[in-house]
Amino acid sequence: MDPLLYVLDLIVYIGIFGIVALSLNLEFGFAGLANFGKVAFFLIGAYTYALLSQTGLPFYLCLIAGALISAIFGLLISLPALRLRADYLAIVVLAFGEILRLIVKSEDWIAGGDWGVTVSPAISLMGASHRVDALVNIGLVYFCLFICFLVVQLLANSPYGRAMRAIREDEVAAEALGKDRAKYKAQAFMLGSAIAGVAGGLYAQYLQCVLPGMFMPMVTFTVWIMVLLGGPANNWGVLLGAGLVELFDRGANMAKDYLILPIDPSSLQYILFGALIIFVLLYRPQGLLKESRIKTKAIELARYGRSATKNKGS
Amino acid sequence: MTINWAQILFNSVVTGSLYLIGAVGLTLTYGLSNFPNFAHAELITLGAFIGYFVAEQLGLGLPAALIVAFLVTGIVGFLCYRGIFQPLAKRGATIIHLMVASIALGFILRHSIGGIWTWRPLYFTTIWATFDIGPLRVTGLWLWLIFTALALAVIMHFILVRTKIGKAIRATSSNPELALASGISVDRIIWLTWFIGAGLAAIAGIFRGADTQIWPMTGWDIILPMFAVAILGGIGNFYGAIAAAFIIGLAENIGVVGLIALGLSTTYRIGIAFLILIITLIVKPQGLAMLFRRA
Repeated sequence: MDPLLYVLDLIVYIGIFGIVALSLNLEFGFAGLANFGKVAFFLIGAYTYALLSQTGLPFYLCLIAGALISAIFGLLISLPALRLRADYLAIVVLAFGEILRLIVKSEDWIAGGDWGVTVSPAISLMGASHRVDALVNIGLVYFCLFICFLVVQLLANSPYGRAMRAIREDEVAAEALGKDRAKYKAQAFMLGSAIAGVAGGLYAQYLQCVLPGMFMPMVTFTVWIMVLLGGPANNWGVLLGAGLVELFDRGANMAKDYLILPIDPSSLQYILFGALIIFVLLYRPQGLLKESRIKTKAIELARYGRSATKNKGS
Repeated sequence: MTINWAQILFNSVVTGSLYLIGAVGLTLTYGLSNFPNFAHAELITLGAFIGYFVAEQLGLGLPAALIVAFLVTGIVGFLCYRGIFQPLAKRGATIIHLMVASIALGFILRHSIGGIWTWRPLYFTTIWATFDIGPLRVTGLWLWLIFTALALAVIMHFILVRTKIGKAIRATSSNPELALASGISVDRIIWLTWFIGAGLAAIAGIFRGADTQIWPMTGWDIILPMFAVAILGGIGNFYGAIAAAFIIGLAENIGVVGLIALGLSTTYRIGIAFLILIITLIVKPQGLAMLFRRA
């Protein structure tokens, strides 16, 4: 295979999964929600894109529609569990993802069942080579990544984001200060689902197909590794995590051609992923990059006093 | 199409028995350690494969398989807790971290099983006598399954109510600090519960495997009803789990009739457990625990 194309492909993957990792970071890192069914919203985005693009809608509308439908499902599915403990939400959403995959798998009329359907690429240039196609995809994916990053980053540092972190740290205290925790959580979950939906749409158009097999629970788990490894509540961290996990994934895929192993290499890869996550949780639960400090005027004043902020330069 | 309601009722008891045996460990460890162990699914799978190894590959028969699988999987369950979850909890991991770790552990176990054995389905070769009792079609395996579940319920009831260990389990479950202050070795009680829970998961795995087939996803295929049992029954509540297991067994078997009548695929039967789960969370998140105050 063309080595340059391989690298470009890797860059696209990092971008798409970087978006999903950002969405999980919003939910888990900032709002403290355990979304164990990330793949469900990824799937909704992808299938919405696949079905709508067949009707001839322009690709950006398909992406937006995927985000909206994903957000609506996110709200509906999280509502019963949001007022309860984190574990209920985790179980419900995990189950939701499995059932959703089951539905698209057994209902042929939705999108071809097990065999899936083909999806036309978002932007297709006449007579373009694979490399150019990949470059176009990189442009599209990283544009979306940039917007998502901006949204999550600004949100996290806004008063709204601070309220979200307060709820994550201590629900009761936040509620006592008048923050409606269920409302904040539902909004974070909706926004997270919407972002995952966008990533799903990008994924579908990049691979030019949707199959139930693309949306195994492993996808959710991979994204969790990215977030936990990179650093929850640090957007740069989760992007770093996305990059590292994708690199590791490719590296393992390449290594298996050269190594003679007593165990099936793809099994070994999952085992290593699992071991990695337990290792991170045990020895570096804050991830590679720590949660970034919130920067506001008020905090600086409180920390250094009025004179210190004036003479900060000296 | 005439519907054989007696058969549906009987099948519900069979399904409920399987879910009860499988879910007891899940709900008890959930209650004691305060997090849902998603790797419970893989303990079920591991039990099924160890059972297959002993019964088929070594040719020692099912009774030996049940005993060996119970012990080995129980020890694995204990080691998982002792080696991973306990250190994590001691380092102040949140419930979310514990859940992620359990999923990670599940992946490690599942793919180790797939690597050691195979990803193709395997079958137990024991042939069970099938006989008719009135309108019912019954196999010997199902009778053993029901008998095991009944025995489990009676023995666990006896242990929980009559023995010191059982009282210690209940005390630890309801208030760990007070239990510790009363001189109960809380750690040992939790270890014992993980051992028994994982061992019972193995039994469920073997029954499930002998009834259908085994592959590395055997446990994952039925983990959702297990969670529904734990939550509907009230987390950590053994008596609630008994009631919930049979309620969900009944709902699934009636639901399958409904699915067929609607012309839908019967693979949606796990959707029924999901519905019950959602309804429980909306209506009464404590589950049936209110009805069973004692445990």
